[in-house]
Amino acid sequence: MAPAQRCPLCRQTFFCGRGHVYSRKHQRQLKAALERLLPQVEAARKAIRAAQVERYVPEHERRCWCLCCGCEVRKHLSHGNLTVLHGGLLEHLASPEHKKATNRFWWENKAEFQLKEKFLISPQDYARFKKSMVKGLDTYEEKEDEVIKEMAAQIREVEHSRQELVQSVLEPQAVPDPEEGSSALGSWKGTNRGCGSRTSLPAWLLFVFFSLVASTSQQPSYLDLPLTPELDWMETGQPLTFIGHQDTPGIGNIHSGATPPWMVQDEEYSSVNQQIGPSYEEFLKEKEKQKLKKLPPDRVGANFDHSSSTSVGWLPSFGRVWNNGRRWQSRHQFKTEAAARNKQSCKEKKTIVS
Amino acid sequence: MAAIYLVDVDQTPVYTHYFDISYIPSTVFFFNGQHMKVDYGSPDHTKFVGSFKTKQDFIDLIEVIYRGAMRGKLIVQSPIDPKNIPKYDLLYQDI
Repeated sequence: MAPAQRCPLCRQTFFCGRGHVYSRKHQRQLKAALERLLPQVEAARKAIRAAQVERYVPEHERRCWCLCCGCEVRKHLSHGNLTVLHGGLLEHLASPEHKKATNRFWWENKAEFQLKEKFLISPQDYARFKKSMVKGLDTYEEKEDEVIKEMAAQIREVEHSRQELVQSVLEPQAVPDPEEGSSALGSWKGTNRGCGSRTSLPAWLLFVFFSLVASTSQQPSYLDLPLTPELDWMETGQPLTFIGHQDTPGIGNIHSGATPPWMVQDEEYSSVNQQIGPSYEEFLKEKEKQKLKKLPPDRVGANFDHSSSTSVGWLPSFGRVWNNGRRWQSRHQFKTEAAARNKQSCKEKKTIVS
Repeated sequence: MAAIYLVDVDQTPVYTHYFDISYIPSTVFFFNGQHMKVDYGSPDHTKFVGSFKTKQDFIDLIEVIYRGAMRGKLIVQSPIDPKNIPKYDLLYQDI
């Protein structure tokens, strides 16, 4: 018997010696493996003529397995944030080590000779690829520049439209403001705050122009800070509307600790008995019902309703000696046995008679 | 999430009287049906009288009220800068 040899392609150990590589299984495995590798090599070959440059994405870190060399090879060539597609694979395929390994692989595994060329890249092809790579890089840079210019133009446009909008809003506002302000001030100074009257404007209008604290002579005692810096934002037009003192002598309010309106009992509700839900007796009855619900009403046991009518078969004991389980089970068994017994006795009678 | 309701004082005389709303705009805060008081530095803690200077003030106030209410407080300290709180005169029948 030949010494044990491991075939890496079939991933098995064989004792056939050199005959294994000619076997159908091995050739089938070889074919499948080459078919798996071929599309990637073909894709790389296409890239020789037209190298594609793209922005770097972690996907470009992918590797592929080179069958001939038995090692993982980087598929794409990346540098910085650019990637040349299929660059890594082409570099490897063009290398002399790969050529040697391919030759050895073909010899050892007895693969088809014509297929070998497909898995090799000549140095001339590689040089062509390098040239197209340079071209590709240039076109990519141009594209990027264009994109950046487009973005800049867009930003400029947006900015411009924004500024136009702001200007258009500011211009009409600047015109009516001085008119309104002066007339409102005049009307305010005419009315007396102490009489509690509202301004002539409707109640739903929240903002009326007037200056609040500066116009009064009284100053609340809690204001210890100087007035002028506090009023900066106030005077630019954030005023209060006085709607009158809310004091009715009889009715309390929040400050006097009255009941809130939402806590006040409704009239019709307070007159009715406020108890809700079942009474205690009703609740107990309900509980009893729930308990008895689970068991049959004329079962044997505690709380048996003695007034209920029972059948003839109810009283006798069907219980066996070691019974467990429900009464009906032992009753059922007793009945079947009784039926069998009756049948047998009938048969015996018949035989005796005949 | 806070729900904001805009109420017309003419249409709710009972509540206007109860909360003693003499100046509008006034903002009253509730949490779970409970009226929340806030110490703004003004004499009236039951409501915020006037308008808010910035949106952020309003947001901060709501957050402080919420946090206090979740801890069971009924009155909290306002986070708004005193100079941003509108000043008004709390007169009682011209006294």
